[in-house]
Amino acid sequence: MLRLENISLRIGGFCLESINLHIRQGEYRVILGPTGAGKTILLETIAGLNRPQQGTISLSGKNITAIAPEKRHFGMVYQDYALFPHLSVFHNIAFSLQIQGTEKKIIRQKVGRMAEFFRISHLLKRLPQNLSGGECQRVALARALVADPAMLLLDEPLSALDRLTRDRLQVELQRVHRQLGITVFHITHDLDEAFFLADRMAVMQDGRIVQQGTPREIARRPKTEFVAKLMGLKNFLPARITTEGLIKAQGLGTLNPDILQTIPQEAGDYLVSFPDQAVEIAPAQDDKLYCWQGMARITEMCRGRDRVDFKLALPDNTIIFTACSQRETDRFPCSPVPGMEIEIGIMKKGLHLLAAK
Amino acid sequence: MSTFRIGMAALGLILILLLALPLLNMVTGTDPAVLRATLADHEVSASILLTMRCALWATLAGLLLGIPLAYLLARGSFAGKSILQGLVDLPIMIPHTAMGIALLMVYGRKFPVGGFFAKLGLSFVSTEAGISLAMAYVSMPYLINAARDGFLAVDPRLEKVARTLGASPGQVFSRVSLPLCRQGIVSGAIMMWARGISEFGAVIILAYHPMVAPVLIWERFESYGLTYARPVAVLLILICLVLFAGLRWLATRGQES
Repeated sequence: MLRLENISLRIGGFCLESINLHIRQGEYRVILGPTGAGKTILLETIAGLNRPQQGTISLSGKNITAIAPEKRHFGMVYQDYALFPHLSVFHNIAFSLQIQGTEKKIIRQKVGRMAEFFRISHLLKRLPQNLSGGECQRVALARALVADPAMLLLDEPLSALDRLTRDRLQVELQRVHRQLGITVFHITHDLDEAFFLADRMAVMQDGRIVQQGTPREIARRPKTEFVAKLMGLKNFLPARITTEGLIKAQGLGTLNPDILQTIPQEAGDYLVSFPDQAVEIAPAQDDKLYCWQGMARITEMCRGRDRVDFKLALPDNTIIFTACSQRETDRFPCSPVPGMEIEIGIMKKGLHLLAAK
Repeated sequence: MSTFRIGMAALGLILILLLALPLLNMVTGTDPAVLRATLADHEVSASILLTMRCALWATLAGLLLGIPLAYLLARGSFAGKSILQGLVDLPIMIPHTAMGIALLMVYGRKFPVGGFFAKLGLSFVSTEAGISLAMAYVSMPYLINAARDGFLAVDPRLEKVARTLGASPGQVFSRVSLPLCRQGIVSGAIMMWARGISEFGAVIILAYHPMVAPVLIWERFESYGLTYARPVAVLLILICLVLFAGLRWLATRGQES
């Protein structure tokens, strides 16, 4: 449906570099990246608010690179919703229809239908400054969708909200996508939000797309340390693949390459990464499950609301991280404290090899 | 009340007294009967009305030509923007008599621009048009700067969203930027009108006659002394005070509603 080919753009000191994306009809696509990765510039470029210096943007096969934003027919919602403060909720939602010169009777019908869909009919006479964050978001969505846009562009629409409202509105976005069947392009820095909503996602770093795929694919096989860190991974051990094909990882010794999901072809420097769930405290007596078993010293621990995070030192002082639930720590023979030695096992499953920087 | 607030209030009060004392002294020291007689003087009332009217023409011209420039200064990014901003502020800095001479050398009948307008039947020397022109030149920065600050205060994302909702740049300006900047523009227009009414230096060079109120006050002071100049000055101060207080109140009420 929407295709970005080799899009490059420089704004001030920031560059978008050779962005290639293909968003399918009806897809919910999330762009995940930290602040300053260029997500908003990319979104505004798709909306037509920035003109790329190179590359093409096409919508359903039609080149729209040079088309003005008002003629692209995309709905857009900004992080702080950007509701017109001088217009009532009704006139905010009706804005695009009034611009098009739609008949008043039809405007009333369409706005009414949209307000009903988002359950904001009781707010139509209010001004935006008298709305809560959640209400603002619904109004912004209704305004963006009332003229049946070809696509919905969302710029971190949930990041300004408290946890409770965010969870509720995440479900609301999912409902909008499913019930209206609209193609959504959503940018965020929140991993949970991306996993909850995305059909497919792309990870952005310093103006470039560094990995694309389903959330599951990216989480399982991050291509770079940056993506792995973004996916919440904390364990990265320097490793070397010898010419004989053996993996020598710091702290873990020599590993059999067969335990990896993808075996690299070339010898050289790599990083072995694994999620903290791959580190089991008091492991089962089954050697086949683990690539490494032994004693580790707790160097730091942090008790959260329902989990405990551990920083562990392996016998050669290599640091790894793990976490377990409060209930699991209750089952330990004695309460864990920093300095205590505990038996751990690092599971083969979840081990992943990344190219070193 | 905290010591800090008391200190701030005391300092503020000193300034208010400094500002108000000469005006209060002049107003309270004038016999109301003399004021009534001055108001009945046709030359005085005609002069005050002329001053108001010329300042209004200048302000209307400012609204028409100054707002687009203010928008460009707020939103545009182009070479020489700071020079342009400096040029806009220039009338605040240079002596207004110098500005009057500069205007005379452009819009005087013997000079090309003035000659061109004279052929069209529009003269700027010793005419109402000349007074309005002089007022516009010296007071325009107040409107442009207030409107520019107003446009700067409008979140650019509102304009961007409006574009994605189908509005052309012109529609974005008229339906989003301008209504949101209204308060800044109204304040700027009031300031411009006020500054136009008080203008003396540029006006006296370009158009001594017909006499606007500041020129009349000066002329009476020069010819007859303080006794004759004071009632006209008091009258102008009172009228301006009532008008501007009223306009400010209306503007504030408009913003609140």
